[in-house]
Amino acid sequence: MSVDEIMLRSRFQPLERILSYDIFNTGLNGWMTLMPNFTEYPDFDVPKTLVNKDQWPPVMLSSATFRYPGTHGAMSGTYSMKLSTRPKANPYVEKPAEGCLGHAIKRMSFWRPGSKYLQIECWFTYTAEQDVVDGGDRPQPGLHENSIRDFGLGFDVQEGGKRYHVGMRYLNAVDGQMKQKWQYEFSNDEITDKDWAFGLEGDWCKKGVDPWWFGRRYPNGDHDGFKDLPDGEQKLIYNETDCKLNWQYMRLKIDTQLREYVEFQCQDKTWDMRGIPADCVDGYGRIDNLINPLFWVGTDTDRRVFFYIDSVVVSQE
Amino acid sequence: MKNFNDSHLEVKKFFKGHFDTHPYEVGWADEAIFFVMVQKIEGNPTMVAQVQISQDGVHWCNDGSEPAVIRGLGQHAIKVQPNFGNYLRVAVDIEGGEMFLNLHIACKG
Repeated sequence: MSVDEIMLRSRFQPLERILSYDIFNTGLNGWMTLMPNFTEYPDFDVPKTLVNKDQWPPVMLSSATFRYPGTHGAMSGTYSMKLSTRPKANPYVEKPAEGCLGHAIKRMSFWRPGSKYLQIECWFTYTAEQDVVDGGDRPQPGLHENSIRDFGLGFDVQEGGKRYHVGMRYLNAVDGQMKQKWQYEFSNDEITDKDWAFGLEGDWCKKGVDPWWFGRRYPNGDHDGFKDLPDGEQKLIYNETDCKLNWQYMRLKIDTQLREYVEFQCQDKTWDMRGIPADCVDGYGRIDNLINPLFWVGTDTDRRVFFYIDSVVVSQE
Repeated sequence: MKNFNDSHLEVKKFFKGHFDTHPYEVGWADEAIFFVMVQKIEGNPTMVAQVQISQDGVHWCNDGSEPAVIRGLGQHAIKVQPNFGNYLRVAVDIEGGEMFLNLHIACKG
């Protein structure tokens, strides 16, 4: 058994068929930045949009190198995949600022008949940029945990003529106030496609699709595209300074036959999510059997924040 | 086999005056090229682009190379000189007009 196989079986709980096992110390392995569709005349321009989506920064191979401690490295070597934001955020209830999010996506597809379960699991960590020290009445100056608004993982899936986004969001902070709870992707039933676009005319969008930048947000942290996971409060590790990273584990399992969530795990806590439906819309042309695993991160203030993935496994059964 | 990766830094946007590209980590790479595609022009702009390096991604200095001077539509390349460490960016000044850019970094190593 190779070291990679030992690490796979020790650090992950893959389903029967492994679709991809990506250790970012070996490269980006097909993970890339999510960008808008370059489809328009005359020069592959971007369709008219209310939320600018071409300012999300690129994903990159990161050595996690900081000002004083130097290189932190990864859990599986020197390099991890880093998602980052630009140093720009709008207040929580407003539509997302240009560049306030970072995304990573990999594009795959169903390949075996009868697959029921689909799972993504990864080792991750996160931090805020050590740019300037926030002072004032902070309990610990220089600890910028509350600059990170949210991060998460999930799938964009289309099968059997239905498309659905399923995923878990860690809502870390809202306008500087710590929340530290998990939410799952599911859009409110009573809203329209126009509501989904912040009530504005002029965007193409479908309720439930792309909740990272669509869906109204409310001062208490509620979101038209996410619902609180019952008993979903969890304090993750943010270790004393912005330059200490602790690698943490999370896993999401879904049922693509029932189109439901099955289970979510983070660190040593597991939530039974059976019975929670996926948020289905009619399928799009030419993409049936699509499986796109993805990650994202958002900043809550005018400071870059970073989300690192050491390794990720996507599997089916 | 070597790794190669190309990433966007700026796309589909008019620029004038000063901007710095997003801090980009290239510790794994032996070579790096900034590709500067000037897709549209307004006025008669000149870009002066200085490659910069950083220890921490926050504090920056010039890499010791001469700044690149870029005029006109089309593809331009800035080949980064060796020994660039981990963090790379380019500090850009555009005077005399505006440039609509597709700015990428291509690395190999």
